[in-house]
Amino acid sequence: MSIEALLSTNGLVKEAPTAKSILARADYLAPSPIRLFYGETYDDKGHTIDSLKYYLFVSNLAETLQKAGRLTDSTILIADTAACRNVGPENQNYYMVLGEERANFVKKVNKVYKTGLRVVKMSEYIHSPDFLGKREKIIEQCKGDPTLMEAIKKTVPESKVEIEREKGFLYSFDEIATIINFDVKVGPPREDLYDNVARSIAKRGGKNQIMSLFLTPSFPVGMNWAYFFANDGIEDHGITAYKAGSKRLQKNRVIIEGSNPTYIRELINNSFISLNRSLPNPVLDIGIICEMARNRLEGNERQITLADDFYEGRVSETELKETVGIGVEKYILSKFQK
Amino acid sequence: MKEQVPIDLIAEKDYKDKVAKRDKESLYYEGKAEELSLKSTKRFAEYHPNPSKSILTGITFAHRDLESVVQSMAGEGPWAVISGLNPSGPLHFGHKQIFEEVLWMQKQGAEVFIPITNDESYVVGKVKSLSESRKIAYDKVIPSIIAMGFSPEKTHIFVDSDYPDLYNLAIDISKHLTLNKIYKVFGFGENKEDENPGTIFYRGGIQLAQILLPQYEEFGGKRPSVVPVGIDQYPYILLARDAALKKGFTPPAATFVRFEEGLDGKGKMSASRPGSAIFLTDNLEDAKRKIKSAYTGGSPSAAFQREHGGVPEICPIYQLRAYHFPNNDGLKEQCATGKILCGECKKQATDEVSVYLAEHQAKLPVAKSKIDKFLLKKPIRSILTK
Repeated sequence: MSIEALLSTNGLVKEAPTAKSILARADYLAPSPIRLFYGETYDDKGHTIDSLKYYLFVSNLAETLQKAGRLTDSTILIADTAACRNVGPENQNYYMVLGEERANFVKKVNKVYKTGLRVVKMSEYIHSPDFLGKREKIIEQCKGDPTLMEAIKKTVPESKVEIEREKGFLYSFDEIATIINFDVKVGPPREDLYDNVARSIAKRGGKNQIMSLFLTPSFPVGMNWAYFFANDGIEDHGITAYKAGSKRLQKNRVIIEGSNPTYIRELINNSFISLNRSLPNPVLDIGIICEMARNRLEGNERQITLADDFYEGRVSETELKETVGIGVEKYILSKFQK
Repeated sequence: MKEQVPIDLIAEKDYKDKVAKRDKESLYYEGKAEELSLKSTKRFAEYHPNPSKSILTGITFAHRDLESVVQSMAGEGPWAVISGLNPSGPLHFGHKQIFEEVLWMQKQGAEVFIPITNDESYVVGKVKSLSESRKIAYDKVIPSIIAMGFSPEKTHIFVDSDYPDLYNLAIDISKHLTLNKIYKVFGFGENKEDENPGTIFYRGGIQLAQILLPQYEEFGGKRPSVVPVGIDQYPYILLARDAALKKGFTPPAATFVRFEEGLDGKGKMSASRPGSAIFLTDNLEDAKRKIKSAYTGGSPSAAFQREHGGVPEICPIYQLRAYHFPNNDGLKEQCATGKILCGECKKQATDEVSVYLAEHQAKLPVAKSKIDKFLLKKPIRSILTK
């Protein structure tokens, strides 16, 4: 599959730089590889199928670039230190263990789907002199520039600005210092606030700016139309992809190494589905992840057209639900049975 | 001798006036919704698997807090709809539009409560006596509502003065409000001292009792509810939401409907201007006459209208046909592009209205015989015994 085809996959890619600009960056960096990045935190409710979407996508992006003759380096960051920040001192150790488990899960994904992703934990570098030095420079630069400081403030929800101000906005600075040297950052749409600050800082320093690539938002499965209607704005941001317990909806998530396939099939069958492309479609979203997983397992490179097939009437709602119910077990859940 | 103005100039001015009226009305509803922080119903229309015609066409154009009702609407629990009316005359097509929306809600699982506010008709001076409005209620209003197809098991109709337990609820609720608040919400001006106490008690007690009644213990207790209303009824919703919180009830949601244009082109269809409305009890000749003489969005010059089209949005005949009868989806475009002129449109409207009235009126004797099955008689004792 070409990089153009991958980036134009409907139902998977929400917003992306042009293929030409990514290739140009890779050429500029050669012989060094272009650095692809996806980072996530986690909770204690398990590994979501939505995280898998990002792992598989980063790997697919790397492969299309390699096939176009470019060198790549793909990093999946498990932000264990960040995940520990808001869990209280009594849970610190537990959450560090969970971080290790998430990192091991990505390694398992590498084995099952041959994704070739490098897994890095935040705790491995956050206290290093290199990182601290980089962060310090960024802090100094921002403190000397009211526009940048304002942008930093915007990375924090309004209700938490004062708390974060007392902590010197360290969480935000850690994030920015982490991503600033990457070339393509894959993530959910809500992360553009960090990306924007990182770009502004890089621009002021005359450095390469990170390119943001947003995948479609994640949604709970098994919810009816009323749930989506009552949650204004969910179409744009969805729920947190990598935290199974986002909005306490862990019972409505596909959790790898956790969910029972029969239960998931029931959720899929009861799920809201619409022919309106602008509305959430959790079943289609899972279907696309299944197709990505299937392609990897079968060594297939075909473009995923499930979204167009559904919205243009070639696949009915019943067929979609049935295919996805089977696919999620066959290509994903069964591959991670303990 | 006075010089005659050419017909084209007259037609052009008429067209411009009608376009200006359309734009003003459109801005009125948008502006009101914004001013009152109401949400558009477009989102609801996108998500609901089978939205009503009223919501799809934007007649029901805004809502307040429908979010509180939708899980029940999706089958997750009981909910209620409250929609009453003032029996100063028979039902007309403006009422029909709202009751069809209520009927749709019943089909989505709602228990329907229909207060017939003959006490209000009297205190605000729309009828000469309580007995007059009571008679209209039983003779003209309730049979027409029943004939629209409501289920007797899930519909509770009550004429206020025949359901005195309502007044105990009004007393119960009125304690949670102040005169100041009522004056403020309803915008009573300097002449407030001239209002009769009945009107004040109606607005500050009885109307709220009607809205909150489904949440009293006798009717199943606290639950989501929705009140379909015109935008001018918003003060009642505000007061009811406030009182609901104080009573530990769920604040009622509301949907807001555009008024149906009166046939005389002088404002909403209203029983107080009999020429503005086609009543569901009108004989066919009266209905034909009203349609024939109705104001329209068309032009005094047929040639001008063929070239420039009409202004359907402000035309009562267009609204009558588009809101109430199927198979008129393309009418707006036909009118706006001059493909149909008012004479032909009125003829088709007459045919549609005649068929409807004949069918509706044929159902009235049976509907009348069923009134008792729909009347709410349940005593409300909980507030007196606990």
